[in-house]
Amino acid sequence: MTAAITTFHPPLSQPGFRLFDGPLRDVADTSADQIGVVGMPSDWTHSSRLGTRFGPDALRRATTLLQSMRPQGASFDPDTGRRTVPAIDWLVDCGDAEVTAQDVDATTQAIAAMTEGLTVAGAIPLALGGDHYNSFPACLGYSRGLTKRSPDARFGYIQIDGHLDFSDRLGAWGTHNHATNARRISELPNIDVSNMVWVGIAGWVDGGDLALIEKQGGRIFSASDVHKMGAAEVMRQALAHAMQGCDELYLSIDIDAMDAGYLPGTGSIVHSGITPRQYYDLLDGLAEAPLAGLDIVEVSPPLDPSERTEFLAAEMLFRILRRFRTRPVTGL
Amino acid sequence: MPLRSAPLPRMAGHLSFMRAQTKAICDVRPGDLAVLGIPFEDTSAPYAGQSLAPRALRETSVYFGWHANPQFSHPVDIDARQDIQTDGLHERLCDLGDISPGPEDAIHAALKLATNQISRNGACAVILGGSDRLSATVQSALSNCQTAQLGGTPRDAHDFHIAPLPNGCASTGKSDTAAQLTKLSQWRDASKPLFVRFDLSVFETSLSALCDRPRLGGCDLATVAQWLSALGQHEVSAIMLTGLNPNRPGMGVVKVGQRLMVTAFLAFIYARLGFGIDHPGRQTSEENIPT
Repeated sequence: MTAAITTFHPPLSQPGFRLFDGPLRDVADTSADQIGVVGMPSDWTHSSRLGTRFGPDALRRATTLLQSMRPQGASFDPDTGRRTVPAIDWLVDCGDAEVTAQDVDATTQAIAAMTEGLTVAGAIPLALGGDHYNSFPACLGYSRGLTKRSPDARFGYIQIDGHLDFSDRLGAWGTHNHATNARRISELPNIDVSNMVWVGIAGWVDGGDLALIEKQGGRIFSASDVHKMGAAEVMRQALAHAMQGCDELYLSIDIDAMDAGYLPGTGSIVHSGITPRQYYDLLDGLAEAPLAGLDIVEVSPPLDPSERTEFLAAEMLFRILRRFRTRPVTGL
Repeated sequence: MPLRSAPLPRMAGHLSFMRAQTKAICDVRPGDLAVLGIPFEDTSAPYAGQSLAPRALRETSVYFGWHANPQFSHPVDIDARQDIQTDGLHERLCDLGDISPGPEDAIHAALKLATNQISRNGACAVILGGSDRLSATVQSALSNCQTAQLGGTPRDAHDFHIAPLPNGCASTGKSDTAAQLTKLSQWRDASKPLFVRFDLSVFETSLSALCDRPRLGGCDLATVAQWLSALGQHEVSAIMLTGLNPNRPGMGVVKVGQRLMVTAFLAFIYARLGFGIDHPGRQTSEENIPT
């Protein structure tokens, strides 16, 4: 007679979506061996097609609908032959950074403060964009945190992207926008351009930016290279190049490296980009990488009425996260 | 010579194709690429919205207006690692604007007159359409012309159909491209004007999304760009872009179709103007490091 009452289990969790249904946790309460999620709902620094401010929410929603890591129980991953473990305590969602529209500096510092806190605690910051500029503040905080945690450590950088984002400035948007994030990251104290690698670049790029990267030892793999060499080989070479003399890796995932025919919901689409399968294979190639920070950016739900973009991006996240806390299948 | 001395936000300023200079039709010179829009609504089309295509193509093309933006040095084809010097683009690419909306007969007459005048001036007319119904008008303006067709509905067995043909028909696009290029050279009669019809349906439909008449088994971007580059080596009197409908239901915010079309079309422009071809004095990207 009282069955209805006993199904009520207070306290309820906070309403709203969290990445892979992981628990909400303050940055100050995170610890080593955890991944801390930071939302960056900002698209003021994109130069044309907006909408990525809705990206973090869309990613959180889409990941809760993936069966792979649902809290109801582990699932078997046929690709790896392992069971995945739900995001109970190892993947914590720290909410969104405070975004101040039209104030790039304030937004930059707010995001950086969160990723710095996570890095100092030994956790891995996972930042959800937002346009690609926000990759810079996310990496800035990681860089600051790394300096505090290991003053002499250096990090390598891999950017999967359809574009170089290495301009020094972009028209009216100045020096801090979605076309300059990689350039600003290259200026951080504990990274060298020779440890920066771009994967998936498509179409025409600016000759000056390209020359500057290659002159300083950076490496670029085009989408055509991925088609010709295979995703696994490209990522093997990319990782080897990025990690020369480095201790950790920062990964920036711009979803627009994927061909627009598959993935239209992003601000700067490219054609002849890489396929979903190739993108996933690239991410699988990082299974053994010393990943210490990452972001995924440019998910723009308003630009894709079919909503497939956010699910493709959610699958990308699963690919990169599934190696954490997995265990061999012991029998089903 | 850039149009401006300061960078211009992408969506600001006067809209012209690739930020080209605007010209009156009487000022078009031999060797120019003269862009002309036809915002014509074909009422027999399955969906309304073809008249929005010229504006959509121009908006997307601004992304590639390297020559008009002083913050960029020069484009490099990342796949071929080839520098493309666009210094002369501003002198040879011009935008004449749109043919005014009005009665269909008047549009046909204006299009025919404009195409004929551009051709007589020794320039190539780049016609931004939506509906391919108007392509017959362009053909009639170029007396005794040969027509090469990428996508769209075949009309004449004498035309050179590149790829692909409508659903269910045999496709010439699947055969060896090198052999097809040889066939094109054999087919081409240099004494006649050449008209190129470039319809969005040439692409595999899963890539284009905004095509009014989707085709299964279409081409990828690299193949279409290769064909447009090859056609750009010829003296083309007119090229017409058709098949784009930016207003396909539910897909209005997706700019995939126009981006795909303009990206491929760049290959034609670069080839027609002689860019991207090795020539003395060509700088490599290594030599273009900004100081």
